[in-house]
Amino acid sequence: MSIRLSSVWSWLALAIVVIWTLLPIYWFLKNSFLTPDEIARFPPPLYPLEPTPAAFFNIFGFEYELADGTIRRGSGQANQIIRGFYNSLIVSAVVTAVTLVVVLPLAYVFARLDFAHKNKLLFAILLAVALPPVSTLIPFYAMYVRLGLSGTLVGLIIVTLTITIPFVTWMLIGYFRNLPQVERLARIDGFSRFETFLKIIVPLGRSGVAVAAVIAFLFSWNEYTYALMLVNGTSANTLPAAISGFLFQHPEPSHLAASLALTILPPALVAFFLQRHIAEMNLVDPVR
Amino acid sequence: MSRIQLERLHKTFHRHVAVRDLDLTIENGELLVLLGPSGCGKTTTLNCIAGLEAPTSGRVLFDGDDVTAASPHQRNIAMVFQSSLLYPHMTARQNIRTSLAKQRLDRGETERRIAEASSVLGIEGLLDKLPSQLSGGERQRVATAKAIVRQPTAFLLDEPLAALDAALRLTLRAELVNLQKRLGTTMVVVTHDQVEAMTMGDRIAVMNEGRLEQIGTPDEIYNRPATLFVAGFVGSPPMNLIQGEIAMGDGRVRFVSGDFAFEPAQAAGAAGPSTLGVRPQHLHVRAGPTDGAMPVTVFAVEHLGRESVVILEDDRRNKLHALVEPGFASRVGDRLHAAPDPAHCLLFDPAGQVLSNPDRETERSA
Repeated sequence: MSIRLSSVWSWLALAIVVIWTLLPIYWFLKNSFLTPDEIARFPPPLYPLEPTPAAFFNIFGFEYELADGTIRRGSGQANQIIRGFYNSLIVSAVVTAVTLVVVLPLAYVFARLDFAHKNKLLFAILLAVALPPVSTLIPFYAMYVRLGLSGTLVGLIIVTLTITIPFVTWMLIGYFRNLPQVERLARIDGFSRFETFLKIIVPLGRSGVAVAAVIAFLFSWNEYTYALMLVNGTSANTLPAAISGFLFQHPEPSHLAASLALTILPPALVAFFLQRHIAEMNLVDPVR
Repeated sequence: MSRIQLERLHKTFHRHVAVRDLDLTIENGELLVLLGPSGCGKTTTLNCIAGLEAPTSGRVLFDGDDVTAASPHQRNIAMVFQSSLLYPHMTARQNIRTSLAKQRLDRGETERRIAEASSVLGIEGLLDKLPSQLSGGERQRVATAKAIVRQPTAFLLDEPLAALDAALRLTLRAELVNLQKRLGTTMVVVTHDQVEAMTMGDRIAVMNEGRLEQIGTPDEIYNRPATLFVAGFVGSPPMNLIQGEIAMGDGRVRFVSGDFAFEPAQAAGAAGPSTLGVRPQHLHVRAGPTDGAMPVTVFAVEHLGRESVVILEDDRRNKLHALVEPGFASRVGDRLHAAPDPAHCLLFDPAGQVLSNPDRETERSA
């Protein structure tokens, strides 16, 4: 009897978690297939009765003719959305690549080798992780204005790296530390330190590498605070900042919802294709 | 194949001395066991031979050539690590092949050697499995194949069997010795298990606190220990060690401990504090008092089948072990008498050096 009861509770808990996480996503996905009139109706429809992809055409600047002959006109934000999507892809790809190139050797060295002042340097990394990004916003802005980096993709990439590099390093140190002591084996086999890292450690720690890439990508893709401050309103604007424009203009909730759907598409794809590695990265025993 | 010499090898970590001025020669084709408790410096010594650690001072010579500054790969040694370390993300075959990655062999020769090593160790069926899919014994065999495939000058094994269960350890122990004898390659094995050392080694080097206590054949180590440490460390059940002193009188040397007085056959040394050592099989248990016997109380009896071990307590509550016939009948608390065999007793001076080993031939470190 108690077994049944506990399974009832666990199903209930599971249901709450699923509703908690998925309902908001469902809600805006649903809204993206509605017209503004339908969204404004009370009580709101729980699912699209006559789903229309109009909003997805509109946010890219195309008109769409509804079944009743009404024309839904392209969004005035279309250029910003397209530009933002493109910029976000560039920023995320570059940040992910640079983060990996810097972080993999850095985390490896911290995790597996001994050198002078290691603990102080580790503490410096922790400090960089602990600082709230907002606290460095004003100094960065002031510096960027002088250097001519505000409103540029390069500037945004640099500032995003200041967050992803320490954070991902911190995360990977623990992962690398738990890998077995294969360096001695590699030395017997005649590999140099660099070869050991490249040919043994990186393939051995591929799950950790994949998760590091995902985290760097997701962070830079979702980054909003710096983008709003440093590049919003310029040609270097990214998607999250561009979408925020909807909030301040005449309300087009279906366009906002469609843009959000566009925003979660790359992270969803990443999560889908790398879920095996994410599940595999067991921090306690990296090799199972 | 090669002769390995260590000359005044010294290794310190920060302030801790791991190996202290060690002189050691490992003969060509010999299986030498480095034996000692944990922290005695045996693994550090092995790592210095391998080239994984650089000695603080001293030299390592292979066949007379100074290789102190050479990398492990230049020394062409093969090593099997504790718990048979392998690359976890590679199959057994890839693991073995990685041993040859820097050998510049052509593909055919590489594959031929892998096939040969696999057949020697009987692991042909395991080559495409990952280490996580192998049992402890299978991993050990793969690690050994990885070592022999390179045809190294020496095999270095760091506690190769420590992670295995007792039955498997017995099997693999014999396999390793058999393999070493067939290949005739110099092998150095590190272990803290004295039974493993006795059964595997052509010679055993007993280390303690970074120093070499004694080096010799298993027979020499067991029957003619040079120091109190070796006497106490090697043998199971352990050698009985009785504190007392040497008294001289009437031209005879006597060992006295409380009421117990005893005349060893091979007497040496001067009057003063001493320790008497006697193996359990040389401590004879009798019911009645005799000359050279001490009164004891039975503390426990352990039946081993072929023989029994009686654990006795003397009047000062020291525990003594004696081997007796399996039919030996006694109960806990029984009063008995234990007499050391005068012909098989050892006396040690207060510094732990043996006094009564007249025909000692063993080398010792300076």
